[in-house]
Order: sequence, then structure tokens, then C-alpha cells
Amino acid sequence: MFLALKEIKKEKFRSGLIVAMIVLIGYLIFILTSLALGLAQQNTDAINSWDAKQITLNSNANVDMRQSFLTKKQVGHLSRQEALIGETSVVAKAKSHKQLSAVFLGLNNNQFVYQNLNLVDGHRVTNSHELVVDTAFKQEGYKLGSQFKLNGDNHKYTIVGFIKNAKLNIAPVVYGQMNDWKSLRAITVGPVGSAVVSRDASYKNNANGAKTYTKQQVVDKLPGYQAQNSTFILMIGFLMVISLIIIAVFLYILTMQKLPNYAVLRAQGVPSKVLVGATISQSVLLVVSGLIVATLFTVITAWIIPANVPMAFDIPVLGGVGVGLLVMAMIGGLIPIKSVVSVDPVSVIGG
Amino acid sequence: MSSFSVKNVNQIFGTGTAEVHVLHDVNFEAEPSTLSLIMGPSGSGKSTFLSIVGGLLTPTSGTVEVNGLSYNERSKKERDALRLDSIGFVLQAYHLLPYLTVADQFKLVDKIKPQGNLSREALTDVLETLGIKDLLNKYPGELSGGQQQRVAIARALYPDPAIILADEPTAALDSARVAIIVKLLKDLAVKHHKAVVVVTHDGRLVDSADRLYEMKDGYLTKSTPEVSR
Repeated sequence: MFLALKEIKKEKFRSGLIVAMIVLIGYLIFILTSLALGLAQQNTDAINSWDAKQITLNSNANVDMRQSFLTKKQVGHLSRQEALIGETSVVAKAKSHKQLSAVFLGLNNNQFVYQNLNLVDGHRVTNSHELVVDTAFKQEGYKLGSQFKLNGDNHKYTIVGFIKNAKLNIAPVVYGQMNDWKSLRAITVGPVGSAVVSRDASYKNNANGAKTYTKQQVVDKLPGYQAQNSTFILMIGFLMVISLIIIAVFLYILTMQKLPNYAVLRAQGVPSKVLVGATISQSVLLVVSGLIVATLFTVITAWIIPANVPMAFDIPVLGGVGVGLLVMAMIGGLIPIKSVVSVDPVSVIGG
Repeated sequence: MSSFSVKNVNQIFGTGTAEVHVLHDVNFEAEPSTLSLIMGPSGSGKSTFLSIVGGLLTPTSGTVEVNGLSYNERSKKERDALRLDSIGFVLQAYHLLPYLTVADQFKLVDKIKPQGNLSREALTDVLETLGIKDLLNKYPGELSGGQQQRVAIARALYPDPAIILADEPTAALDSARVAIIVKLLKDLAVKHHKAVVVVTHDGRLVDSADRLYEMKDGYLTKSTPEVSR
């Protein structure tokens, strides 16, 4: 540590360049991770808020709630652990606001999903053409009592409540009554809902034409969800590897320049482990410094970023990513170690 | 009792047609309170001899005993510890760590070997003698070649080794500085009972030597000031 600290102190510019590189990589990784988390959450926030374990859909719906229709017979008898949901995509239109794409979810007032809605403002839906909407509507200027039309429906819908983090497939959710869902989908006979969600992990619906999935199976089949997550994981993984290579290259060059000095120290009896320790602690110090600055930048970003940017700053996850970067740096720092260990002290005798 | 002894040492590099016999049956003894000078031209085997004596190189045949124990009987770790405790290397290529100030060069020794180093007063004496007391806060890059060489000498003496092996210690110095270095090495031998061995081709050191040797084509022989000068 002594040697590492002294070298960093003396070589401020060189060390600063390495730290700056790590800051940029660390910041990029933190922001990408937050974006990945934010988008993942906005895909699944609504489903997660229901606390559902099992979801029954039409077996021909390709595990997609939007494509699913269930008849009364397929829904069957529902206990207090189950709730019927009707889903459809809508566009909210109001004269004084820009159009907003959303997901309409029809609920029954006597079932647990409706009863567990955690509102931040207003009250639950009690009548037809009333809506509880995601706070994204608030950011677009909608208020309690605001009215708008959905799709081609001539009726106006009124906002009676706001709910936070109610998003499905990145679109804000509007909760309404099941009759309104039927109206929006122009259903007069036949289907009674899109899905049955259950809090009971052992729930299974064996009705003909219906199939029960775990919540995760349904989440994984959300359009674009897997592709989006894979892309982010790939990008973050690549950045990790790039950081490893950068740190390894810098440390390798720095170490190669010091080998004649190290040879003298070895000739003077300084154990290899002291020199190895100096090399590794140098990489740790540089990376930790870089990560601290990157964290500060991330905190500032989280503070000033607009609320509608889909980013989630999860401290345990970002901490894990930071540790991952540190591990990569350690691996990078180990690459020049072989040269340090095998330095030949004889080379310094005789000038 | 000798500080170290070299018995029938041969050193051969390479094999077949590339074989070079660098040292031939070298025998040598260094005793405390003695300044031994090994003179010889470049390529005569002086540096190889010094590497073997310092335990950096294992000879093809023969033995080197330090404090009564052969290098062959010591592990690599023990040889490192021996060099750290008992052998002070003064090297021609001084290679001070560029990011340590002169003061930090000594602090590094304290970190690795916390005990048995020169006292603060003794170090100050050495620094004053070498004329580098005012350079403690300077980095090697801010020093002249001669100043760096003197810092390297002080650094080698700081662990208070019983044996001092010097490789061309006066190569970068003017005559006035040479006189100071020679006096210092002589004092270390006489007053502090060190075994000092200097390999050099600098004739200005000849008069200070208690024992004089000549290395020629890998053969080490006793010499006289008249021959060596």
C-alpha cells in the first residue's frame, strides 16, 4: 500500500487518467444498470403489485394477456385468492393534453387486485367510466377529475385516483371496471376477461382451452422484455470486460516501466510479495477511487434526472455491479504479476 | 571468522558451441573490518562474481557460504531475508524508485524491515558524510547522477548490513566525491567492522583497499597496488 500510495501521489496525471477512465466506465455501467432495472420494472410493476403467483390465460394466447380471452366456463369458480382481469391497449385523448398510450385493466370490485390497489391520491373506482391511473398521467398534466376519451369510445372517462408505479410493458396502467373493458373491446357475449390471477402458488385451472402459468413465465413473454434485458446484460458484460482490459493494459505498462526498479529491490532482498502487493493495491486504489467518483456522478444523475426517464437506482444491485468492477480490476491487476514475480535481480548487476 | 567465503566456484553460461566459461575455480574470503577491491576490465566476470556472492545467481559448481551456511542450504525466501538483513548492494545502475522521495527510500526499508536499521542519528551522519542531507524531500528525477548514486549508497547502508557489495560505486562521481565515498567505505570496514567488497575498474580506489584482487577472463588472483593501478 505504501508504494502504491506514493506512486499515485507522485504520478498524479497518469493516475488521474486511469481514474478518469474508470469513472467513465463505472458511470456508464451504473447508468446502464439503472436504465435496465428501470425498464425491467416498468415492464412488470403492475403485475408485481398484484402479488400474483399463478396466471391463467387462454391456451392459444401465446402467454400474452393482451391476446387472451377467457369465457365464463374457462374462468370457473374463483375463490378469494383469485381475481379476474381484462386487459386491452388504449390511447387516452383529451383536448388540452397530448395523446397517451396506456394499458386498460378491468377489475371486479369484490376481488383482491381491486381491493389491494395502493392509491397515492383519490379513491378507487366505484362507477362505470371512472379510472384510477398511473402517476405518469399526473406528469402529463392530468388531475383528479380530468376527463378524456379512450380509443374510439364516445364516453368520457374521469380520473378518480392516482396510483404509483403502475406500469405494464412500459405503458402506464389505467384501472377501470370490467364492464368498461368489455365496452372497449366491443364484447357483448362470450369472453368475460383476459386472465385469472391467483395469489395461491398451487392454483391451477384445468378448463378446456385455458392454461395456467407462473407469474415469471408470463413476465418473460412480455413483448420485448427478454430481448431488452439480454441487450442490457450484454452491454454491461462487455463494459465489464473492457474495464478489465483497460486496467490490465494500464497496469501492465506501468509495471513494465518499473521492472528495473523492482529488480534492484529484489536484489536488495525485498520479497516478491511486497512488490505484488504494491501492484494489486495500486489497482484497487485506482479502481475504488474511480468507482467513488462514478457513484457520486450517478447520485447526482439520479437527483436531477426527469421523473419520466425509466431509471431505477437500486443500491444493492449497483453495489453488486461496483463489486463486479472491482473484481474485474483485480483480475486485470493480476495479469502483470507474473512479470513482477519473475523479475531477474541479476539483470541490475553490472549496470 | 570470514563473513563469507567462495570455494571453487565455476560459472558456465550456455551449452555446446555457445558455452561461455565466465568464472574459473574462484576462491575468495571476505572478513569483517576489511575493504577488498576486485579490479578488472569489463567482461572479466566481476558482475557475475558479485551476483553469485549476493545469492542472486547459483554457480554451476562450487559453494558460497555466508555466516557459515551455504546458499545451497537456504531456501529462496531465506536468501531474500539474508540479503535484506546482511548484504548491502551498492549498484552501478542505482535505479532508485522514481516516485519515492529520498526520505521515502529509507521509509520503504523500515516498512519491510522494521528493526535493525541504522538509528536516526547514524543515518543523519551517513547523509551528512555523503552530502545529501538536504535532499531528503527530493525525488530521484530532481537529482543529478552523482547525487542519485550517493542516495543509493545511503539506502544500501541503512539496513546496517554486515556485508557490503559494491558494483562500480564511484562510476558517476567526480574525484572529490570519490574520496568521500572511499572514506565512507573504509570507515564502514574499519570502524563498523563490515566486510566491504568493491568490484570496479576505477584505479582511484586502489590505495584504500586492504586486499586487492584482479579478475581477468574469469580468473581471480591476488594483486598489488602497482599492478592494479
